[in-house]
Amino acid sequence: MPKLHLRRFAPAAALAVALLVLAACGGEYPNSTFSKNTELNEGAVFLWDRMMLLGTIVFVVVEVLLVYTIFKFRRREGGPAPRQIHGNAALEIAWTAIPALILVFLAVPTVRIIFENQRKAPAEALQVEVIGHQWWWEFRYPQYGITTANELYLPIGKTVNFSLRTRDVLHSFWVPQLGGKRDLISNRVNHIWFTPKATMEPTALNGACVEYCGSSHANMRFRTFTVSPADFEKWVAHQKTVALGSTAAAAADSLAKTAVKPTPIRTASVLPAPSLAPQPDSSASAGVWAFPADKIAAYAWPQTPLPAIAFDETRLAAGDPRAGRALLTNPANLGKAPCLTCHVIKGETNYVNDDQAKGPNLTHFGSRHTFGAGLYRNDAKSLALWIKNAPAMKPGVSMPTFGAGEYNALIKQIVPASAGLDDRQIADIVAYLLSLK
Amino acid sequence: MASSAATPTHAGAASHSSEQSGLWSWLTTVDHKKIGILYLYTALFYLLVGGLEAVLIRTQLAKPNLSLVSADFYNQLFTMHGTTMVFLVVMPLSAAFFNYLIPLQIGARDVAFPRLNAFSYWVYALGGLFITLPIFWGLAPDGGWFAYAPLSGPTYGGGYNMDFWVIGLQVLGISSLAAAFNFITTIINMRAPGMTLMRMPMFTWMSFVVQFLVILAFPVITAALFFLQFDRFFGTQFYEVAAGGDPLLWQHLFWVFGHPEVYILILPAFGLVSEVLPTHSRKPLFGYNAMAYSGIMIGFLGFGVWAHHMFAVGMGPVADSIFAVATMLIGLPTGVKIFNWIATMYGGSLRFPVAMKFAIGLIAMFTIGGISGVMHSSPPSDLQQTDTYFIVAHFHYVLYGGAMMGIFAGIYHYFPKMTGRFMSESLGNWQFWLNFIGLNLTFFPMHFSGMLGMPRRIYTYDAGQGWDLFNMMSTVGTYMLLVAGLLFAYNFFRSKKHGAPAGSDPWGAPTLEWSIPSPPPDYNFAQIPEVTSRYPMWDLKAPDRTAGIEHSHPDAAVIAEAHAVPMHEETERRTAKELGIPMPFNTIKPFLVALGIIILFSGLIVLHIGNFPLAMATMLGGGAFMVGSLYAWLTSPLE
Amino acid sequence: MTTATAAAGAHEAHEHTHYTTTGLDNRKIAIWAFIGSECMLFGSLISTYLVYKGRSVVGPFPHEAWTSPTGQVFKPILDIPVTSASTFVLLMSSLFMVLALAAVENKGKPGYEGTLGSSKLWLLATALAGAVFLGFQAYEFTSFVHEGLTIKTNLFGSSFFTLTGFHGTHVAVGVLWLMTLLFIDMKRGLGPKDTILVDICALYWHFVDVVWIVIFTLVYLIQ
Repeated sequence: MPKLHLRRFAPAAALAVALLVLAACGGEYPNSTFSKNTELNEGAVFLWDRMMLLGTIVFVVVEVLLVYTIFKFRRREGGPAPRQIHGNAALEIAWTAIPALILVFLAVPTVRIIFENQRKAPAEALQVEVIGHQWWWEFRYPQYGITTANELYLPIGKTVNFSLRTRDVLHSFWVPQLGGKRDLISNRVNHIWFTPKATMEPTALNGACVEYCGSSHANMRFRTFTVSPADFEKWVAHQKTVALGSTAAAAADSLAKTAVKPTPIRTASVLPAPSLAPQPDSSASAGVWAFPADKIAAYAWPQTPLPAIAFDETRLAAGDPRAGRALLTNPANLGKAPCLTCHVIKGETNYVNDDQAKGPNLTHFGSRHTFGAGLYRNDAKSLALWIKNAPAMKPGVSMPTFGAGEYNALIKQIVPASAGLDDRQIADIVAYLLSLK
Repeated sequence: MASSAATPTHAGAASHSSEQSGLWSWLTTVDHKKIGILYLYTALFYLLVGGLEAVLIRTQLAKPNLSLVSADFYNQLFTMHGTTMVFLVVMPLSAAFFNYLIPLQIGARDVAFPRLNAFSYWVYALGGLFITLPIFWGLAPDGGWFAYAPLSGPTYGGGYNMDFWVIGLQVLGISSLAAAFNFITTIINMRAPGMTLMRMPMFTWMSFVVQFLVILAFPVITAALFFLQFDRFFGTQFYEVAAGGDPLLWQHLFWVFGHPEVYILILPAFGLVSEVLPTHSRKPLFGYNAMAYSGIMIGFLGFGVWAHHMFAVGMGPVADSIFAVATMLIGLPTGVKIFNWIATMYGGSLRFPVAMKFAIGLIAMFTIGGISGVMHSSPPSDLQQTDTYFIVAHFHYVLYGGAMMGIFAGIYHYFPKMTGRFMSESLGNWQFWLNFIGLNLTFFPMHFSGMLGMPRRIYTYDAGQGWDLFNMMSTVGTYMLLVAGLLFAYNFFRSKKHGAPAGSDPWGAPTLEWSIPSPPPDYNFAQIPEVTSRYPMWDLKAPDRTAGIEHSHPDAAVIAEAHAVPMHEETERRTAKELGIPMPFNTIKPFLVALGIIILFSGLIVLHIGNFPLAMATMLGGGAFMVGSLYAWLTSPLE
Repeated sequence: MTTATAAAGAHEAHEHTHYTTTGLDNRKIAIWAFIGSECMLFGSLISTYLVYKGRSVVGPFPHEAWTSPTGQVFKPILDIPVTSASTFVLLMSSLFMVLALAAVENKGKPGYEGTLGSSKLWLLATALAGAVFLGFQAYEFTSFVHEGLTIKTNLFGSSFFTLTGFHGTHVAVGVLWLMTLLFIDMKRGLGPKDTILVDICALYWHFVDVVWIVIFTLVYLIQ
């Protein structure tokens, strides 16, 4: 084999690194940690810049010395024997003291920023409770009585104080564009706060769980929408209500509403006067406000491929939200469609409350852009497949397989036709869920 | 024992043990060199296993939304990749060198407890199988190599997977602890006359520090693992959320062990490089004292920085600050090492065999890992880095660019000593450059994907996140590393048979191990040498290099008592019997005790399956077998 | 487990008096390294107990009475007078151990002819005291279980039984070790040349004793 020489590779390596740096500077990086969107991350970026500078100096000094030494002191035939030096106290003190001095320039601002970041949050801050579940995010706004899932709305210019806890194992809450992460720890409540700067544009940002939490750790994502204070008010006002779909259906069914119920828990004891049912997709209708879909950049739309689950898509257009609602809410159907034993829909007859629910709160599900913890686009087809066979779409998910004839990976059985939902019923449920604006 | 007048009472038996060959001789050997080679082969086998796991991981991540492996299998892969590389590859590769080199470097005929040494190896080999084999049934550990509670506990990790991890690690801990007691005793008590602490070769020094790290760090994980085992098998509540158990207890105990473990992995490689660089620079190690003391400092500080793995758990500003500053401090002794290595080469007469290339590679690459390490020491910034690919980049620069480069340097350097033959330089050059480029191609882009928001431990990621290019580069690099690894394996086995013959001192190295034939005879030194300097072989062969170093005269009485002879080169090869050197008997008993321990612990798996009588039978049977073998071991004579 | 392996190392019998750098026997160095390691093990076990002190969700508790939600009343678990007695016995065993070592070391010397020189007696006394301590512990464990505290009950139960159980196991290994020495003594007699065999056992035994003093203070006495 040919002999290899360092000299031939050095330029190639330098070129590769340069290309990499160029690539890193040129592209679209929606989850970059270098943004200055919050005061929290300004501190991090300040320290990063200083460390990059100091680190680069150290790196260059070391590598230049090393490379110089390698080339300068190569053994040459007939060259002189090396001058024997076994140590040099002054030199050794110098290369201990200089790095120590460098570290002082890092340690002082580090400690200052640690204490700045971990002050008590301002009293007027927006409170958000983040609750981790295997594998989805629950967000509560205790000041407004709102519970939602996997989509976090934050007003621009206002400090948000997160209190973080977990329902099961450890998770970690992270929106790279807004600042560092904080773990969710069993038997503890953790805190982190920051302020999306007033100069920020309304945007959709990606967030993720960054503490390994089991099978679908990779699929525990969420979206953060930073919105103007006015839009946030609109969003809050809407989220506080019951969903259009449910009230509309409720209004229509109100006469027959006296059926016996198996000890349900009422989450909303008094329903507001139902408005007339509008078309479910009219998100512009009075009161409904969600982050506009056309403002969501491509990176925030999930691109998870849909698995090959057979579904008669022609059914979707014909989906009947009322029939879907009946399937969900009629106790007689609990065996087939036990949705409300794990999910809460404000305004419906629930069997669990938010503290007991195993699945996300679905109150305004129809106004969400994604589902499955940011894994899928919230459209009729994805949702239909999900209801038909969620374990095939998200490993380890605790939502069972509902589609008749589908293989349930969780219990390793095929769901019998008698116990499962057919495509028409699933289409009805999809129509109902999407009507929950 | 070095005395020529020693009565050869056991000489007959000694030759009996050395004449055996074949499988049985490997099963029963108590020779530190053979055990070192067993460690080497076994660890290289696991390197292949861990490497293939990495290849699967990187193939799955080559592009977004791939589904080559399932989520659950991926989780097993990354858990086992970490566990394998730490406990079954890098530590045992270091152990291979401890075993092979320490007695040779300090002028001893064996380690202090040869049979305990065999026991350590067999516990490692069997424990390694115990933790590795389940992956073929999809039952491999899947809670991460850090096994954070409560995911690793019975409530959230109720399968058999983590059973294998808690038991396997406990067993491997026994191996490491037993070996560490052995090497501490060996280094303190088996040095040849005149081999003072400050004359020890730097590899022995670093190994000495590592043994103390092992005996102080491993008991902590032992306790933590017992808690987890008791939770899993006996219903205790240590990490149970419902009972008020605190997941942070596990994290603290794990990292009190886990951070010193990092230095357990890297210091032996530092030691190896400190042997290779002076040899091929024809210059003594620059700042020997500073090198030794900085190793000790790293060891000390290593116990005071564990919580920098936990900045995201919210320990409060005071704890964050303390651990941040302590972590920065550890950069200082490490920096001293880097600069002293460069100063060792500076002004030297450098030659670049593959060993030297790898040693220089360590300096260059470890510097990158060291700098990114200082970056994590600052919590506000670390909170953006922790649990992302930036961390993956960092510790692979430290462990691949550092530990593995150093170990490769050590293998190329010491292969002639172990086998009497050289490894191929041209194949070695190809391997080095493939490794060097491959590792940078694999791990450098991870700095970018991490800082651009890619979390660790994810089996898949979505398209459009700006990570695609970096991931593809990492994957391509991994395949280069695979090719490099296969090239190494080919070179290794080919050179063993067909390599160019090497004499006893092929590199012109300064330390004792090069004064005896290659491969060394089973008794190592026919006559225990009297050591009068750090570089005894250079005193003999190149006195100009050591002229400036103080040569103090050892206590004459000590030398007289030991019948040591002045430093010399041994060229004759005679049998222990001819020389009248008593050799330890080969024995199967350490293997049997190790087997008993594995059987005993396997009973816990049976307990989990739910067969109580069979579990009791397994545990009692294994326990009785272990105790019986141990008794037979203790009552039989060593030599 | 680590105890057993260390004992294996410690027992590795060198029949020749080999040259050693320090002049000490290898086994003596190894047992000190082993004791250093054991300090970290017990340090972790004791820290865990202390960290979990007062954090059990349900009783019974070590020093306070507890009324369960169903109205059942549980006494404080720890019985300090009884444990004080067993602590005293263990302390005495260390004294016996010292005497046993002295008897072996000075066998045949003037002043060691009678009871003082009877290594068998002192070894037996040490082992017996250890066994009595284990008896106390067995009694203690059984009565705790009767009072409603098992290793599964709460954090206190888990950490208490694990800590004291590990210590008890160490005592048991020590008793076996002492019995082995006694057996050798009866078979062939232990003399000055066997000092190292008794010495390493004594170091281990004193260590186990000291650990108990720490446990007794931190777990039992400090409330």
